[in-house]
Amino acid sequence: MKDTLTRGGPDPQTRRPPPVQPPAPDTPARRRKRLITRTRPWLLLAPALLVLAGLLLWPMIQVGKLSLQEYEVRFGGGVGTYIGLDNYAELVSSELLWKTVLPNTAFFAFACVGLTVALGTLVALLLNRLGTTWRLICSLAIMAAWAMPAVTGTYVWIWLFQPGDGLFSHLAEGLGLIDPETTNWFTQRLPFYAIATLNVVHHGFPFVAITVLAGLLTIPKELYEAGMIDGANAWQRFWQITVPTIRPVFLVVTILSTIWDFKVFTQIFLMPGGDGSNPDVFNLGVYSYIEAFAENDYGTGAAAAVLLTLLLLAITIVYIRTLFRQGEEDL
Amino acid sequence: MKRRVIAAVGIGMTLGLTATACGGDDSGDKAKGNGSGKGKTLTVWIMEGTNPDPEPFFKEAAAAFKKQTGASIKVEYQQWASAQKKFTTAIEGGKDQVPDVAEVGTTWVPQFAETGALVDVTDKVKESGLSDDLVAGLQDAGTLDGKQYGMPWYAGVRSIVYRTDVFDKHGLKAPTTWKELQATAKTLKEKEPGMVAFPVAGGAEMFAAPFVWGAGGELAVEEGGQWKSAINSADAVKGIAYYTGLATKDKVSPAKVNTWTEKEVGDAWNKGQIAMAVGGNWTPKAIMEGNPDLKGKLAAVPIPGQTGGMSKSFLGGSYLSTFQTDQQDLAWEFVKMLTTGEFATKWAEQTNYFPGQNSELEKVAAQKDPLVEPFAQQMMEAGATVPKTKAYGEIQASKVIPRMVQSILNGKANVQQAADKAAKEMDAIFAKDK
Repeated sequence: MKDTLTRGGPDPQTRRPPPVQPPAPDTPARRRKRLITRTRPWLLLAPALLVLAGLLLWPMIQVGKLSLQEYEVRFGGGVGTYIGLDNYAELVSSELLWKTVLPNTAFFAFACVGLTVALGTLVALLLNRLGTTWRLICSLAIMAAWAMPAVTGTYVWIWLFQPGDGLFSHLAEGLGLIDPETTNWFTQRLPFYAIATLNVVHHGFPFVAITVLAGLLTIPKELYEAGMIDGANAWQRFWQITVPTIRPVFLVVTILSTIWDFKVFTQIFLMPGGDGSNPDVFNLGVYSYIEAFAENDYGTGAAAAVLLTLLLLAITIVYIRTLFRQGEEDL
Repeated sequence: MKRRVIAAVGIGMTLGLTATACGGDDSGDKAKGNGSGKGKTLTVWIMEGTNPDPEPFFKEAAAAFKKQTGASIKVEYQQWASAQKKFTTAIEGGKDQVPDVAEVGTTWVPQFAETGALVDVTDKVKESGLSDDLVAGLQDAGTLDGKQYGMPWYAGVRSIVYRTDVFDKHGLKAPTTWKELQATAKTLKEKEPGMVAFPVAGGAEMFAAPFVWGAGGELAVEEGGQWKSAINSADAVKGIAYYTGLATKDKVSPAKVNTWTEKEVGDAWNKGQIAMAVGGNWTPKAIMEGNPDLKGKLAAVPIPGQTGGMSKSFLGGSYLSTFQTDQQDLAWEFVKMLTTGEFATKWAEQTNYFPGQNSELEKVAAQKDPLVEPFAQQMMEAGATVPKTKAYGEIQASKVIPRMVQSILNGKANVQQAADKAAKEMDAIFAKDK
């Protein structure tokens, strides 16, 4: 996995498992060697897995448990009563979930992932063509977007689109597109999410750009030269050489972006109306938060969180399957 | 295959890493001492923002308390926005996590009391001879089933704040009825098109509530121990229709205000964009600090009643409550010190809020400060509380009222539809928390 993800080189040799010895008589020494070969990776992984289990698996199990309970906060430790799948039943029977929350979450995530990866790739291609000085300057500029905390970034975007006062509102007003007396972009679903998308894409594309650039730098120049000799234009070279060669890199940035964009919370919650006063713009993160921490219905909130996790797992499994199918074809 | 498993574990972990948002718990360590007072330390949680500079105040209070009991005070400042969650986490953790004394917003008292974390101080209040002097509405807000969970510390109320320079320029007078309020706002809108004549802020629950009460309606009513929404009653709907109509029909509040909370209204005040608005007794001072040009150009008037008198307005405030720790008695001594006499007066003076005792409140009202007196009048004569139940705290946190107001302002529902929906949402939460 690690090989495929980070190196992503074209050499299939690196992805092949260690060469298997031809069958030979079973001696104790050989058996011991095989035992070591088999357990060594797990031994090496053990410390990291233990830490992750403590910090991540345990809370996840707790959330799963909570989603099956009716939970009441008590002084010195709350009381949970198991109520089976009631929380899930309540969740999936909610009209708000199907009509608003899930569509918002999914469409927003797909729009963000698509735009982030596209923009990130374009920027990476640009960086790849630049000389050292300009590449440094541009990298620093996009790093600034990346380094900006989500909260700060969100407030800047809100400020830009602030009805009546923001830069974009003034522009639109100047062009006669809107009447500032009656326009408030934050109250309608589509403009609200358009602004949120800008915010998330702006914050997310630097990661894609830097990662894809790292991939681009590993592609041997000879491939492009050969392509040029064969008469391929830039468009063809991109799709026939660049994309297939660093496909694993694209896969990783897409998976990670999908995960991040499905669970966007801060950027929505901080926008006007995003904190619960406008149910039209709920996404799964905000919905789960409102259920759990506003209504103190921790069970339903946990169920929504589990639903989000399952959704992400499903999407990721699809990605991983494509990745490995690809790998097998290559071999 | 093996590698595939490892890879799957790896991805699963990454997924977990990014998918689980862990709430941080950074409640501070509590020093615990022995002996009566001496060597002991009380942990005190105080909300940030009420007193612009609280440190000298607590330094002085701590010194006085040390002299009196020998115990030290450790003050930890909390944010209003995140405090409720932090309290809940601490309550889950039990007596080692909760503070000994904490400032608790009146609307939080029912929720915290129900968990069993707060100390019932009814008898202690009586013993100290304090019970007769407490402002009734405020005492009531923290009393459940006859048990009082702390001492009222300070209180605030919203009235109407307006710009005297703008009013004088156009020969306007402070409104005393709903009709006058509407006419004044319309004139302001016409004469001062660059200003917001009267913000109908969609995110501010306590801007809308006075008009529900003023029309004779209620947010919710208690019937035989069970709360039931009343927000869609004929009277309440009349009040909501009047309030939202100021924006939708009279257009005295532009669309940008539809998503405003009180914070944005405050920002707009500071920019000099507001002519008149619902505002708290703490608002004038905050505006004059944010925009010194407005010094001497502000005045206040109680929220008018439909045809005169006053509309009731939310009487909010903070309690100083003691938690079920090993140092309850010592904690009570500190609460008593802060909520009575010299320190209570000093706190009220520094924060521009009102003290929780009638005797102190009358002193404030007697000063005849034009930026204080209307609020004091509103507080003593037309203060209202929201339903005293844990469920109402949840209704507020779920923004049921702002949702209703915003859906009307944004034209997604008419007043009756929006009120019916809000009533349904309220009842669902009441039913869950019987």
